[in-house]
Amino acid sequence: MKEADPIVFVVDDDPLIRDGLRSLIKSVGLHVETFGSSREFMQRKPPDAPGCLVLDVRLPGLSGLDLQRELNESNIRIPIIFMTGHGDIPMSVRAMKNGALEFLTKPIRGQDLLDAIQQAIAHDRAARRERAKMADLRTRFDLLTLREREVLDLIVAGLLNKQIAGELNIGEVTIKTHRAHIMQKTQAESLAHLVRMNEELKSNDRR
Amino acid sequence: MPSVPIVEAKLYPLKRYGLAIVFVSSALLVTLSLHYYFLDRLWFLFFAAVMASAWYGGKGPGWLAVILSSVAVEYFFIPPARTWILKPVDVPFFLTFAACAIFASWLSSRRRQAEDSLKHARDTLEAKVEERTAELTRRNEELLLQIAERKHAEGSLLATQAELARVARVAIIGELTASIAHEVNQPLAGIVANSDACLAWLSKPQPNLDEAKKAASSMILAATRASEVIARIRSLITKATPERLKLNINEVIEEAVALARTETMNNNVSLVTELASDLPVVLGDRIQLQQVILNLAMNGIAAMSSTNGRPRRLLIRSQTQDADRVLVAVQDSGTGMSPDVMARLFEPFFTTKSQGIGMGLPISRSIIEGHGGRLWAESTVSQGSTFQFTLPTEACDVS
Repeated sequence: MKEADPIVFVVDDDPLIRDGLRSLIKSVGLHVETFGSSREFMQRKPPDAPGCLVLDVRLPGLSGLDLQRELNESNIRIPIIFMTGHGDIPMSVRAMKNGALEFLTKPIRGQDLLDAIQQAIAHDRAARRERAKMADLRTRFDLLTLREREVLDLIVAGLLNKQIAGELNIGEVTIKTHRAHIMQKTQAESLAHLVRMNEELKSNDRR
Repeated sequence: MPSVPIVEAKLYPLKRYGLAIVFVSSALLVTLSLHYYFLDRLWFLFFAAVMASAWYGGKGPGWLAVILSSVAVEYFFIPPARTWILKPVDVPFFLTFAACAIFASWLSSRRRQAEDSLKHARDTLEAKVEERTAELTRRNEELLLQIAERKHAEGSLLATQAELARVARVAIIGELTASIAHEVNQPLAGIVANSDACLAWLSKPQPNLDEAKKAASSMILAATRASEVIARIRSLITKATPERLKLNINEVIEEAVALARTETMNNNVSLVTELASDLPVVLGDRIQLQQVILNLAMNGIAAMSSTNGRPRRLLIRSQTQDADRVLVAVQDSGTGMSPDVMARLFEPFFTTKSQGIGMGLPISRSIIEGHGGRLWAESTVSQGSTFQFTLPTEACDVS
C-alpha cells in the first residue's frame, strides 16, 4: 500500500509570515497549504495523508489554542507545532498538555521549524500506521460469531480444548472447528499471534 | 429630693443625740443654778438648748431635746417642784411650753436643712463643674487624636495615590512595550522566515531563483513594515509638542516640592530649597520641567533610603549660570554612585531600584535637551549625588 505524500498546514494571520513559511517548507519538497484563520482551516476536509499543523497562537477569532481544543474534540488527530510572538510559560504548558508537539518562539529559525515539521510528520506517520493496523485488526475480529468470541476468550485465558468443551458444555470436536475458524478469520499464524492481536485490540480499546 | 444634711450625715447618731442631752442638761444646770435670781421664769434657756440640738444634731436630737426639756421643766419647775405631779391648772402652760419647744426645734432643723442643702448644692456644683471640665478636656483630647488620625489617613491616602499613579504608569508602559514588541516582532518573524526560504532555494543543487526572488521581495516588504511601525510610534510620541511658555523656574520648583512633600515626610528626609530671587525668565513646558525636578527629587529620596547616622537632606537650588542660563541642582546626602553606575545612568532601562523601570533619567534628559539645556550628574561615594540641569533664559532662547 503506497502512502500519500505528507502535507504541512500553516495557519497564521500575517500574510508575510505565511508566504515566508510556505516558501521555506516548499523548498524542502513538502506540500504546503496556508490559511489566514482557524475557520478557514476548519473548512478544509482533513486529507487522508500524514502531515502536521504549524499554528500561530495569536489569531483573529478562534485562537490557536481554541483551534487545538476543537480539533481534539472532533477527534481530528494531527500533530501541532505552535508559534508565538511572546511565549509565556502557562500558555505553552497548556498547549503541550493538550498534545502539542512543539512550541516555537517567533522569529523562528528556519531549520528549527523544518526539524520540528519532519519530526511531526514521522510522528503522524507512525500514529496513522498504528491506527490503520488497529482498524485492520478490528475488521478481522469483527468477523467472529458470538460463539467463536466465547471460545476465543477461553483460548486466550489459556484453557485446553477439553476444558473449553466442558466449560461451554459442547463437544470437543465442535471446539476444534470453532478454533480453526477463529485462526482463519483473524489470520493468526499461531496461538501466540492470536493472543497478541487480541491483547493489542483490548489495550487500544481501553485507551 | 430631700437632701441629707452633710453635717448630720457626718456626725454619728450617738454623738448627735448625746449633743442634745448635753445641751438640755446644760440648760437645766444653768437654770437651776440661777433659780435663785430668776425664780421659775427661766424657760428660754431650754428653747435655746432645743434650737441648738436641732441645729447641730438634726430632727431626731431636736425631738429628744424637746422631750427632755419638757420632762425637766415638768419635774423641776412646775409646782410642786421636784415632783412628777402636773396640776390641771398648769397643763395649758406646760402644753404651750412644749408647743413652743417643738416649734423652735422644727424651725431650727428646717433652717439647718435649708442651709445644708444649699451647701450641698454649692459643693455638688463645684464637683459638677470639675466633672464637666474633665469631660471637656477628655473630649478635646479625643478630638485632637481624631484630627491626628485623619491627618495620618490623609497622608497614607496621598501616598497610596502616588503609588497608584506610579503603578498605572508602569502598567501603561508595560502594555505599550508589549504592543510595540508584538508590532515589531511580526515583521521580524516574516523577515526571518523569508530569509530562510530564500537561502534554502539558493542552496539547492539547482537554485530556484524565482522562489528566492519572491522570498527576497517579501523580506523587503516585511522590513518596510517594521520601519513603518517605528515611524508610527515616533509620530505618536512627538505629536504632543511641548509648550514653550515664560516660566519662573522657582515657581516650578515650589510646585514639584509640594508634590514631593509626602514622600520626603514618609522617608524622614528634610527638604531644603535655596532659590535665587532674581532669576531671569525661562521658556518651557511647566509640566515637563516639573516632572524632571520631581523625578530627580524622588531619585534623591530613594538614594537616601539606606542613609543612617547622617542627616537625610535633599537640597534643591536654583541660580543663574553664565548670565544667560539658569541652573537647577538637586543634591542628596545618600550613598552616592559608583563610576559603573554613573557611566550607565542615562541608559534606558538601566535601574538600581528593585521596582524601577529605568526610564526616569533618560526621559528627564531628553526633556531638558528638548528645552535646549543640559542635564548631568556628579557624585561622591558615601557622601551623596547632585543632579543638575541648565536651561537657557528667554533672551538666550530667542537668539
